[in-house]
Amino acid sequence: WDEGNRKCSAVTGSARKVRDNAADWHNLMLRWDKLNDAGFAAAGRVVDLRLRQSHGEAPPPALSSAHADLQQECQELLDVLDKMAAVVMKMRRLAAWQSGLVDLERFQLGDEGRPVPLFHGWRTAQFEEASRQLLEAYGRELKLKRAVLQELAHTATSDLCMVYLSCWLHQPYTPPQARLRLEALLLETGHRPL
Amino acid sequence: MSKPALLSLHQALRKGFQTLESNQKLWRSVLAECTPLMVSLGNLAEQLRALSRVQLSNTPLSAFPDLQQCLHFKLVQATDTVLGKLSEKMSSLQAARDAISNQVSGVFQVYEQNMDSLDLLTLTERSATAPSAADMMEWLQDAERHYRHQYLRRKTLLQTFRADDLSLLESAPKRWESLASPSAEDRITDTLFKVSLFMETQ
Repeated sequence: WDEGNRKCSAVTGSARKVRDNAADWHNLMLRWDKLNDAGFAAAGRVVDLRLRQSHGEAPPPALSSAHADLQQECQELLDVLDKMAAVVMKMRRLAAWQSGLVDLERFQLGDEGRPVPLFHGWRTAQFEEASRQLLEAYGRELKLKRAVLQELAHTATSDLCMVYLSCWLHQPYTPPQARLRLEALLLETGHRPL
Repeated sequence: MSKPALLSLHQALRKGFQTLESNQKLWRSVLAECTPLMVSLGNLAEQLRALSRVQLSNTPLSAFPDLQQCLHFKLVQATDTVLGKLSEKMSSLQAARDAISNQVSGVFQVYEQNMDSLDLLTLTERSATAPSAADMMEWLQDAERHYRHQYLRRKTLLQTFRADDLSLLESAPKRWESLASPSAEDRITDTLFKVSLFMETQ
């Protein structure tokens, strides 16, 4: 369908869906980065309060207020994490759509799939693969952040606190290729000019 | 009278000081951009150190078996990025140094070309508006030497940094700061004040 006009083919059917999904990936990853920054700031404050408490720098009357502060910062971090979980949820939906599309094509066109690519060169399965890999990275990241959140306020050794913070900031499970994969997706679907 | 020779020497000196002034500004702004990079280098080293001291399998993070490796990779990668940015800054410093060196050697070339018509008296004579040519040449040479040394020392320090030498990286901000030579910088600023009137007269 509309082979004669491939540049505009991205406005209907599967191509439209894939193109919109690519834009969603971009937006979700941006949102994730923003949340990550906010979460890091909160996590830093938690660690700061916690270490000061355990070093006994706060005089006893100030202790209860410090405790309340800690509680509040932890709550803030929890809120951020909930939002991040929502982002991953949406990512999961995108990946599911993408694999549904592969199934649909297999059903409609047989095992060989689509004879002409949706956009420039990617097979439909490649979109699915890109989505799956991104989802996997962010899913693992979320799991790690949950673990960090659980332990952060109960850790008194500064080295371990530092490791928790680096885990949050540097996102060890998001490989450097993730960003490239997104850019490739955007290029292929025409969001970025070739 | 050696007037034309002195005039062309003065012209070259003016150009030299102009170059010195603009590149001193450039130098300062590039150095200011380096400071936060050095701080993040120190931070990253601290994080790498903490990671190496913690046995993750004995912590609540033991559920993530490859975490140590992945995080280490990310930290080293971030360190590399910062080092890359710093070496870009070094290129800017090098450009400033080269601009100054070229202009100063230009001044000395002009002097050597006109050496026969510039006697000692002409060279050392000063007026209310202009220091003597000999003095100005010396100041330019001092400034040029200062930037040459500064560049070399900073470049050498930067070249010793490696992502696996943590103690060196941890001390990076301090070491970098210790290379500053405010008195020499002040002297250059003073020099530029002393020649400000001379630079305005044509």
